[in-house]
Amino acid sequence: MKINGPFVEKILTAFIREELAKFGYKKGILGLSGGMDSAVCAFLAARALGPANVMGLVMPYGRSFSRDIEDARAIAAELGIKSELVNIKPMVDAYFKEHPTASQLRKGNKMARERMSILYDFSAREHSLILGTSNKTELLIGYGTIHGDMACAVNPLGDLYKTQVRELAVHLGVPDSILSKQPTAGLWPGQTDEGEIGLSYAELDKILYELVDLRKSVAEVLAAGFKKSAVEKIIGMIKCSEFKRKLPPIAKISGRTVGHDFLYPFDRDK
Amino acid sequence: MKIGLAQIAPRLGNLPRNYDLHFVEIENAAKEKADLLVFPELSLTGYTLKDLTEEVALDPAKDSRFQKLVAASRRLSLVVGFVEEKEKGLYYNSAAFLSAGRILHIHRKVFLPTSGMFEEGKFFAPGKNFTTFAAPSGKAGLMICRDFLHYSASYLLFAGGAEMVIVISSAPGRGMSERAGFISGRMWELMGEAISFFSTSFVVYCNRVGFEDGLAFAGGSFIFSPAGELLVKVPELEERTVFQEIRPEDVRAARKKYPYKRDDKPEIILEALKRIVRNDED
Repeated sequence: MKINGPFVEKILTAFIREELAKFGYKKGILGLSGGMDSAVCAFLAARALGPANVMGLVMPYGRSFSRDIEDARAIAAELGIKSELVNIKPMVDAYFKEHPTASQLRKGNKMARERMSILYDFSAREHSLILGTSNKTELLIGYGTIHGDMACAVNPLGDLYKTQVRELAVHLGVPDSILSKQPTAGLWPGQTDEGEIGLSYAELDKILYELVDLRKSVAEVLAAGFKKSAVEKIIGMIKCSEFKRKLPPIAKISGRTVGHDFLYPFDRDK
Repeated sequence: MKIGLAQIAPRLGNLPRNYDLHFVEIENAAKEKADLLVFPELSLTGYTLKDLTEEVALDPAKDSRFQKLVAASRRLSLVVGFVEEKEKGLYYNSAAFLSAGRILHIHRKVFLPTSGMFEEGKFFAPGKNFTTFAAPSGKAGLMICRDFLHYSASYLLFAGGAEMVIVISSAPGRGMSERAGFISGRMWELMGEAISFFSTSFVVYCNRVGFEDGLAFAGGSFIFSPAGELLVKVPELEERTVFQEIRPEDVRAARKKYPYKRDDKPEIILEALKRIVRNDED
């Protein structure tokens, strides 16, 4: 599962640069949370496009997670990329005042989609494309908000497991203050990914690697000594989140249908 | 003899730009006094075509832009990749060898990868033959990407007398480890080394670079001598054209040392294959 930092950096920076250029863009924009994934994406984007062509948008909910805000701004300053701060508290509070809920999940998802909405508006204002920060672990187990933090124009990190993103972060020189943090989706104070998922990333990624990359059967993975409860839980999460990795199914009626047999490449005529 | 490997990044579905790119490369190769310039698989169209396949298809005998390429082959021989409409509604992943203002040979890809990330069988008709032809430097044969990974195809070119096997490719890189480079890169070089050595012929492999829909085409084009020596390797992932001198008479030297070609028994292979195919019932 180990990666070669310089090689992965070379591929991903070329990917960012070429993919944006094909669509006529020089600039990229991303949400900077103060966490590791968005920091890695910002480092890659700054090297691929030049710091002047990257904007990191910091979108806190009020003053909660104040350390993350500081870390996000520190990353922007260190890289010399542009950065703006948009507080999402007024719009999120306005909504939940009308439609109150005690569900932290609903609140968290709403915040993720509020950030998406702002990011898309800023991308139009800045004539830039949105760089995604969802990693392979999150995509496979569906640990992300659909149409929220999963929304983007291109995703350079989607084929790297969380533990591999960490390796890349070390190679790129992401500061220790960020590397040493507990990964969190930031849906509510005190939340940690590993606490919520119930497995450590090290354990989770190893099992995903066996199942997905090495295409091993469940029996083989169990025979290799992984915990049955963990393997079953992960398979359940993969199955339940297929909808987050696909466009919604379209009822086929005609002879040629979008998504079924109207099949064009993403990079068409580029 | 000087061979150019045009490790380019064609634009997906954009024929005019890709023709321009070809003519720029031809101009440079002519200045280098190259005798042969090899472009990658589907060099005129890009690879991940899907439903664009029929929209970029052409008939090489009639297409006016393609005829300009044929005319340019008066300056140096060319190998190009394109979508060929051979019969109405039948589209082939084809490679043409152009020389002295003529189309000397067309190979239609036989083995169309259709699994996992590959879907060529959904859009292309399969070619049916592997034959050699008289190139200016001696007998040669063409293959397209996956064709080369089926070693039986290389045997047919060997039996047909090929002294040079030219493989054009759009191979995406995949698989990684702690070492730099894609794991898949080794597969092509391994086959190149083995086939060149055991068929005592040159193997010329040209792979493309650039991205399409997230796939990174890996480059790493190379030439192996008839003695199985790596003569040149273009760096992976870099858009670059590299020229290499070769001595066609090295085939003779290799065959003196290892008479695999003299001792080949195609009639035994043929009869044995017939028996195997006859007995292969469900």
